[in-house]
Amino acid sequence: MSAALAPSFVREHLRTRLTLVLLVAIPVFFVLIFASVLGQFSSALGGSLASRAATAISAGWAAAFLSGALAFFQLVSSRGADRRLALAGLGAGRVALARIAAALSLAVVVSAVAYLTLWLRAGVAHPLHAALAILAFAAIYIGIGALIGVFVSGALEGSLLVVLVFSVDVFSGPAMTSGGGGLLASLTPTRKAADLLIAAGAGRGSPASDWVAVTAVAVGAVGVALAAFWFSARSRA
Amino acid sequence: MLVSMPTAAAGTPEPPAVRLGPAVLRLEGVRKAFHRGVWPARRSVVVLSGATLEVEPGEMLWDKLTVDEHFALFARAYGMTDEARDRTVAALLDELQFAGYRGYRIEELSGGTRQKLNLALALMHEPQLLLLDEPYAGFDWETYLRFWEMSERRRDAGMGILIVSHLLAERERLDRIYTVRDGKTSDR
Repeated sequence: MSAALAPSFVREHLRTRLTLVLLVAIPVFFVLIFASVLGQFSSALGGSLASRAATAISAGWAAAFLSGALAFFQLVSSRGADRRLALAGLGAGRVALARIAAALSLAVVVSAVAYLTLWLRAGVAHPLHAALAILAFAAIYIGIGALIGVFVSGALEGSLLVVLVFSVDVFSGPAMTSGGGGLLASLTPTRKAADLLIAAGAGRGSPASDWVAVTAVAVGAVGVALAAFWFSARSRA
Repeated sequence: MLVSMPTAAAGTPEPPAVRLGPAVLRLEGVRKAFHRGVWPARRSVVVLSGATLEVEPGEMLWDKLTVDEHFALFARAYGMTDEARDRTVAALLDELQFAGYRGYRIEELSGGTRQKLNLALALMHEPQLLLLDEPYAGFDWETYLRFWEMSERRRDAGMGILIVSHLLAERERLDRIYTVRDGKTSDR
């Protein structure tokens, strides 16, 4: 039944033309413009992020930013109605599963746009690795966006918090600073996904341990998002 | 604040309002409050037959979805067949006279039409007990009168209807009135 509900929840976010335009425009902007800015920032901070690596990783950031924002808004804009639907007989678990299915569907869409832009802009030496890494970025930020939605109900405050987390994550990413970002960089959830994406963009493979780590973080983030959607839709009795 | 509960007409069985159980409470988004007798801010609390109930406040519709999509989602939640849904929805749209808005998104509707949809969603599975918090807010006069006709028809058919209201003018329409003051209820 959750699978039958998910298309409605996806339509909820794709219905307005401006949203559709932004879902295409933001990845294009990130890969074409944000990448060069990222490279310049890295140089200014003493980092060594190469132009090609910056272009590759910007596709991941685009998918992450959009997926996080969409997950946050999915949760805060539908809280009351989702709870009513759950109480009407569907149950919080099935509502949460439908929400996760919708969030992942939207993540696939924005990841596909980001991937396509990257491929057109710079080519992708390791297509499958790059696609999986971009999807991992998106999945991780679904968890972050939904988690923020649990604690922050205001649209403005929540959006700013998503941007704050995103900014810290971006500027403590691999090769952004001379010191490698220190403890903060090693704790950011997208660190391994960024390493994978940079390697894939440059045509290098990645060790199996990195893939295991990224898979664990991405699955964990989706689990966090599922819990957040369930928490939001449940009866508080 | 008045808590009002029409009861069945003479000769018909007592509606199941006093047999509140989780299955009934789930239907209308009502839950037991954490603090019995306490009056939480921004929430309407009804005390009935020893149970403290709380009606969820806030937006209960999806702004970007259409009226028809709301009916489809709630029909699934209620476990209705497509045929039963189509029949019930057509009757409710006719009864509340907003069939022309089926394809409209919620954000495009007036407050009164939203309220009609809220009421229709609550009625589409014909619950045994209906709990309504200021259900006619935003209704025009004709719809307001139609609402009471609908309520009385359903009451006569055996549905228990509990209405939370601030309007003293409605007391003649009600079979039983409870007044809640300072968190305590008195039967009048």
